[in-house]
Amino acid sequence: MAARKTFFRFCLFTAVLCLAGLSARAQSPTAQAGGSFMVQCPGTSPLHPTAISNSNLSVPLTEAAEPAYQGPVVTQETVGGVALTYTLNGGTIKCQEISGGDGYATMADGNQMFMFSFGPLSGLDLIKNGQPGTLFAADFNNHYNSPTLPSVCGRAAPSNCASAGAAGISSNSAISDPTYDASRPISLNGAIADPATIMTVGVLNGNIPAPLIAFDEDDEFFLTLSNVGMIMRPDLFEEHTVHFHGYPNASSYYDGVPDATWAINIGGSATYYYLAPDAGTYFWHCHITPPEHLQMGMVGQLYVRPRQNRLPAGASLYTAATTWYQQDLRTACLNTGNSNGTISPDILCSTPQPAINTAFNHVAGYKYAYNDGDGSTRYDIDVPIQIHGFDPNFHFVGMTFNPEGFADMKDKYFLLNGRSYPDTVGIVGYAGGPSTSAASAAGSPDAASGAIGTEDSDGRTRFSQPLPTLITLDSHGGPGGTGQRALLRIADLDVTEYQTLASLGMPMQLVGFNAKLLRDQAGNNLYITTNSITLGGGESLDVILDSTGIPPGTYFLYTPNLDHLSNDAENFGGLMTEVVVK
Amino acid sequence: MNHFKATRLRVWLVWAGVGMIAVALLWAGAAQAAVPGITGTSTANTFNLVATQGYITQPDGAAIYSWGYGCAAGSSPSFVPYSTGAFCPGMQIPGPTLIVTENVPFTVTLTNNLPAAVGNTSLVFPGLQIVSVTGGVPGILTQEATPGGSVTYTLLATTPGTHGYMSGTQADLQVEMGLYGAVVVKPATPPSTCVSLGSDVAQHLGIGNPGIDFRLAPSAYDHAATCYDREYLTQWMELDPRIHKEAETQVHAIATCAASTSSPCPTGLDVKTEPYHPAYFLINGRSMPDNMDASYAPNYPNQPYNANPHMHPGDLVLVRIIGQGHWQHPFHEHGNHVRILARDGNLILSQTDAAKLGGRMEFNTDTTPGQAEDGIFYWSGKGLGWDIYGHTPGNAGSPPCVADANGYYTAASGASASSTNYYEWCADHNHPLETNPAGQVGSGGPATQFDPLIVTNGLWYNGTPYLGPDAARRSRGPTPLPPGMATQNPIEESGIVFMWHSHNEREITTNDVFPGGMLQMMVVDPPVWYIDETL
Repeated sequence: MAARKTFFRFCLFTAVLCLAGLSARAQSPTAQAGGSFMVQCPGTSPLHPTAISNSNLSVPLTEAAEPAYQGPVVTQETVGGVALTYTLNGGTIKCQEISGGDGYATMADGNQMFMFSFGPLSGLDLIKNGQPGTLFAADFNNHYNSPTLPSVCGRAAPSNCASAGAAGISSNSAISDPTYDASRPISLNGAIADPATIMTVGVLNGNIPAPLIAFDEDDEFFLTLSNVGMIMRPDLFEEHTVHFHGYPNASSYYDGVPDATWAINIGGSATYYYLAPDAGTYFWHCHITPPEHLQMGMVGQLYVRPRQNRLPAGASLYTAATTWYQQDLRTACLNTGNSNGTISPDILCSTPQPAINTAFNHVAGYKYAYNDGDGSTRYDIDVPIQIHGFDPNFHFVGMTFNPEGFADMKDKYFLLNGRSYPDTVGIVGYAGGPSTSAASAAGSPDAASGAIGTEDSDGRTRFSQPLPTLITLDSHGGPGGTGQRALLRIADLDVTEYQTLASLGMPMQLVGFNAKLLRDQAGNNLYITTNSITLGGGESLDVILDSTGIPPGTYFLYTPNLDHLSNDAENFGGLMTEVVVK
Repeated sequence: MNHFKATRLRVWLVWAGVGMIAVALLWAGAAQAAVPGITGTSTANTFNLVATQGYITQPDGAAIYSWGYGCAAGSSPSFVPYSTGAFCPGMQIPGPTLIVTENVPFTVTLTNNLPAAVGNTSLVFPGLQIVSVTGGVPGILTQEATPGGSVTYTLLATTPGTHGYMSGTQADLQVEMGLYGAVVVKPATPPSTCVSLGSDVAQHLGIGNPGIDFRLAPSAYDHAATCYDREYLTQWMELDPRIHKEAETQVHAIATCAASTSSPCPTGLDVKTEPYHPAYFLINGRSMPDNMDASYAPNYPNQPYNANPHMHPGDLVLVRIIGQGHWQHPFHEHGNHVRILARDGNLILSQTDAAKLGGRMEFNTDTTPGQAEDGIFYWSGKGLGWDIYGHTPGNAGSPPCVADANGYYTAASGASASSTNYYEWCADHNHPLETNPAGQVGSGGPATQFDPLIVTNGLWYNGTPYLGPDAARRSRGPTPLPPGMATQNPIEESGIVFMWHSHNEREITTNDVFPGGMLQMMVVDPPVWYIDETL
């Protein structure tokens, strides 16, 4: 079996290199790679004329590097004798690269699960540590450079890491990268732009969830998808796409529906371009044969941080919402209208002005879920949670060459970020996990646990499930000694049934739904305090857990769909995780 | 052993490319939808319905035994919003959509022409007031019509909106078999601020437009925030073929049974409805791609309603959704959010300002059994950061874009109904996605396009990022499509297309074959394309 897989991989690899050789073309700082693999991330654009550089390329930039937002600025540029107007709202250019292919994950009962999946080709170190892999242009274009190929030794075969693997490959850490440039500093997060490295890293590097994407409202986001093929299914010439689920007023071109637009073939890259839309919790997935590719694992999380995070310290949130956002028609809520141009409130206004001025002023470092204008969605910790389900029969058939049944699909593994309980709370201390201090510095919701690795068919163990859902809150660690607040950014990508997530003992406050603040058109917040939320496939919402006044202890998020508290044959586990209040 | 998947795709491509071209030729253009239905007779505002057996067809070739409502023999309903080619057979799924008006009583007479073995049947109208029921025999929920008999319900809708109607007798079986339909209640006093019927710019855009208005009313409710330009109704229902087969077998066996003293004939059906295992997932009684053919297309004699939304940029599109089945379905609208107006005919307003809406904005509108929702959707391309028409400063043929108070180019800012870029978002005007061919640096726009030889093009893809028949001329990125592609979106239309579908993705299949099931392709058409809802 292993020999056959290796053979197929060789064939595929060779074919891609041949393609690459035939169609080599000019390269530039903004569009690099060879052949049909082409990675791009411009440093500047008309909307972002000022590049943001990084003086310490070993530490990726964060939003703190962006200038404060103080209302829109209108600029003009003359093109072909015509003056073009641009409305600048700050933000910057951010980029990310992903592979589309296959991989394996480890279920909580120890079973190895074949997936069609996306993997990271930029921000690898961030992704491995449970962070978004989205980078500023300066960091993205500081291309990946390491003497060894990225991997971790997961719990699936930790003892094998230092010894020979099935394919005769020894320790992952000893796999050298032939494209390593010793004259450049080591860069573990930059984009992989070299086609050979795209293949050697991208093949079988699938993650569940797919690489986490997060950027800021008003950013321009360049997402490059490189299709490395599915090594385990050489019979399929499967394209992959990215569907940015929920993008308001989307173009069809970048919507990822293969029937309505293009889809990238094996051996090529394409770059999706998005002007960051309204803040909110979205998600993304492949849109090729969705019942198959989603069930098989091509589902990821995506959130857009609000403009409000970038206000200058001391600025009134209310003033920003009622004045600055209204000065740009794109985010103004005053008008839109009927087809004949008459004025009426925009029925899909995304930034409703608050009905009440709560006199909430921004404090440096505060984070909000939405541009609420009243501070009501302030939180301390981001917790992206993806609800999903795997049908092991379908995945098994998906690894073989047999026709799949859709009507009979029945999930047996119920997943939070690709893991079932107890894996959801992380496996502390195994090889390859992040250091506690590094993860803490990056704001990880779970500093002590790390990525789960899975041994793939070539004997190498790659990290497959980097995101635990253990939530740790300090009940006096928030501003002024209040309890910390966690923002649960929940998306359900299940393709078969609705799922409910309940909170035992700790109330949930539902503040956002389908990437929109819960607020009526008159500006009243319509938040709901509840102990359970229910989602169908393709839905997202935002829940705040407030630890203020909550006695220290361990609390649970779990599904009251009680048959989903299982890991296939194990009648224990499933859709459950822990909230630790200190 | 590795052929199955590819074969499946190729079969679909061939089937789509050939079969749908044939259909397109037959029906002279892409189909649209509106909310076709019937109105009551003018004198007594009466609908004469009959419940009978018949067959529906599915894209896999299956003819499925079903029960449905239709127009009673001899009744001659009036069709709205158009009558071209419209028909009301004796049995259809869903049943005829009944168009009524708020606060005007109407009467539905149901005649039970189902096989005698089925027994009684009846109608229930969730959310409507029952004024009186005459005839029939008592049942659990309401008066029922015995085989061959009839029952008459007089009803009143006290609010506008959308409702389902369905069998109230042995509903687990009878509704599954197809006994369901919709009632659309028009507002009694649509606000004068809405665009009155017949003068809607959105309806008048497009070359060759005869000026037909396909709306049922200027607004969804008696409220100024519910004006709309276009409307579509979708009813969501699963179908378990085993149940239908078993019912058919038993009905036939009972009808042809020769009784003897040793084995008496059964007199009623004993069809098990559990375990429930649907394999077909229907919108308006059809699976994709059948739902893309025209309403009243003669090849679906018992499934007259399609599901094929089209719109121009900026149209306020009223989306009427009814969950008719056993299950919930997360109906995902690509392209933008939907503002929920109302649930079961109850308008949701702000608690502090009744002039403002209070419903949520959703990109997934869950369809829930027995529940109806109304919402408003629009697509305008606002905020893309690039010109959806591909206008460039150097493009001599570029039309003007003058922003109205909302930022769009409309009648309020000097556009005419013949403007090729009516309702363009002016902030992005002349900001193309690219002005140079793919693969070069300095594309002239934000993004460098991919190598056109390394992508696969879809049947609805016009080959460019842009909207409208000039898109190919303006595009400098990907090369034009290979000949014969984009069959569903010809160059003179060149819309941009979004999938509207169940996001419980296994439901976008037809009896285990992808694609199919609960899947619509919504088309944003350029202003120059007349959206003829009758086709």
